[in-house]
Parts: sequence; C-alpha cells; structure tokens
Amino acid sequence: MLEISRAASDSFDEVVRQRESQVLRSAYRMLGNWADAEDAAQEVFLRLYRHGMNFRDEAALGAWLYRVLFNLCVDRARVARPAAEMPELQAREPAADSTLLREEQKQRLTAALAQLPARERAAIVLREIEGLSTDDVAAILGSSEGTVRSQVSRALTRLRSLMKGER
Amino acid sequence: MTEEELRSLLRELRDEPVPADSLVRMRQGLAQRVEARRMKWWWIPALLAPVCLALIAVWFAVPALTPVPTPAPLAVLNPTIPPTEAAPVMRSITRPKAAPRNNMTIRIETPDPEVVILLVADEPKGTGTL
Repeated sequence: MLEISRAASDSFDEVVRQRESQVLRSAYRMLGNWADAEDAAQEVFLRLYRHGMNFRDEAALGAWLYRVLFNLCVDRARVARPAAEMPELQAREPAADSTLLREEQKQRLTAALAQLPARERAAIVLREIEGLSTDDVAAILGSSEGTVRSQVSRALTRLRSLMKGER
Repeated sequence: MTEEELRSLLRELRDEPVPADSLVRMRQGLAQRVEARRMKWWWIPALLAPVCLALIAVWFAVPALTPVPTPAPLAVLNPTIPPTEAAPVMRSITRPKAAPRNNMTIRIETPDPEVVILLVADEPKGTGTL
C-alpha cells in the first residue's frame, strides 16, 4: 500500500516536472500576469493530485490539464481583468535592431492577447501557440470544430487590429 | 502585419522561457499545498487501521463463542406451527390426571364367601353424590 502510494506520488512529481513550464506559460498567456498564472498552475496540479494519474495516455493527460486550466482561467477572467503586467499598446517607433523589433512585437502581441475575450484567447493560445489540433481544442473547450475555427479567425483579426494600434 | 506573420509570431511565443523565479514560486506553492493536503488526512488511516484490525479479530472470535442453538427456540421460531395449536396438546396431557377422580364402588357380600358382588359406577358430572 505504501509502495503504491509512493509510486503514485513519484508519478505525480514526474508529471509536474514535465509539464510545469508548459502549464505555467499557458496560464500566463490566458491570464496575462505571472502571479495569477502561478496560482492557476498550482491549482491545476493540485487538482491532478486529487484526481489521480488515471489517464490512458499522455495525450489524455495533456487534454485534461488544458481543460482544467481553461476552466480556471475563465473563472478568474470573470472576476479580474488581466493586463496588469502588460506593456501599453501604443503606436511606437519601430526598433532599429531586428532582434529588438521582434522582442517588441512579442511584447505587444502578449499585451494584445490579454485584450481578447476569454474563449477567443483560449482558442488561439491552444491552437496557435500550443499547436494543438482544432479537434483537440474543440474537445478541451467543449465546443465544435467550426466554433473553434471561427473563434481563432476572429481572434487573429482582433490581434492584427490591436497590433496596429487600433481599438 | 500579415496573418502569416502573426501566426509565426504566435508560434515563437511557445518557445519563450518561463521566468525562473516564477517557476520556483509555483513549485514551492504547489509543494506546500500538496503537503498540507497530505497532512490533513493522515489521521484517517491511522484511525481506521486499528479499527479494521479489531473488527477482523471480533469477526473470527465470535463463531467460537456462540452456543449451539437448542431445538426449542427453533420450534418456537418456526412460522409453520401456529401458536394456537399448542394449547390442545397441553389439555390432552392434563386430562388423564382427572380420570381416577371419584368412581364409586359398592361391595355386596353374599352368603357364599366365594361370591362377592361389586357395583362400580362413575360419578355423574355436576353432582357430588351418587
């Protein structure tokens, strides 16, 4: 019994080690600040600890983690708006150096992501940043593939507008 | 910025490193919460283990101490025998005791010593005399 408990604990620790960066980064993309992202990631792994490691494969585990994270982020987004740590979205002079320019674009994109509605943000984070298939994103968000495609398309349009400095 | 450039920029975000201090804070917070959860329930197995052992011990000890059931309680508990049928049995047992109650015998001696007349009569019910 003790051995089983220890094995489960080892397995849990292993999953945390493998997935902590991914979950924390996704939480940050969805919530917009690191403090909330840390809390959300902790809650995700705590729920995994309670749930147990009964998954048929790695993909099922990943989908479960994303689904819990998405639900947590939607709940948090209802009570607090993100972007506390986001840089201001203002039209700036482009940086001279290409690397600096790229970094600046990433910062602005991160800030723009925080302006999206929660479901669109989750759809584009999972589909375009995490690289999941539309089918997987639909399963995680509990919607159809058509809805996900539509959300991603709308999110891309909004992001392009925000990146240009439009409102 | 075209849509393809935007998608490319989004993909680059995937590989961005997580700040080390944020990762450390998340690990520490998670470790504390998992440990708190483990400590919260430690007393349940500690309490249940001796209780289970005691129950198992009682389970095996009780059959040896149980007396062999006697037939009488089983007969009483048998639902096929109605309790009213026991009464006539009791009456049939007590009736023979009343049989020798008051038979009257009259002995008449004749002149012949070899001949004796015996008159035997049952006492009529409801009367005390012949």
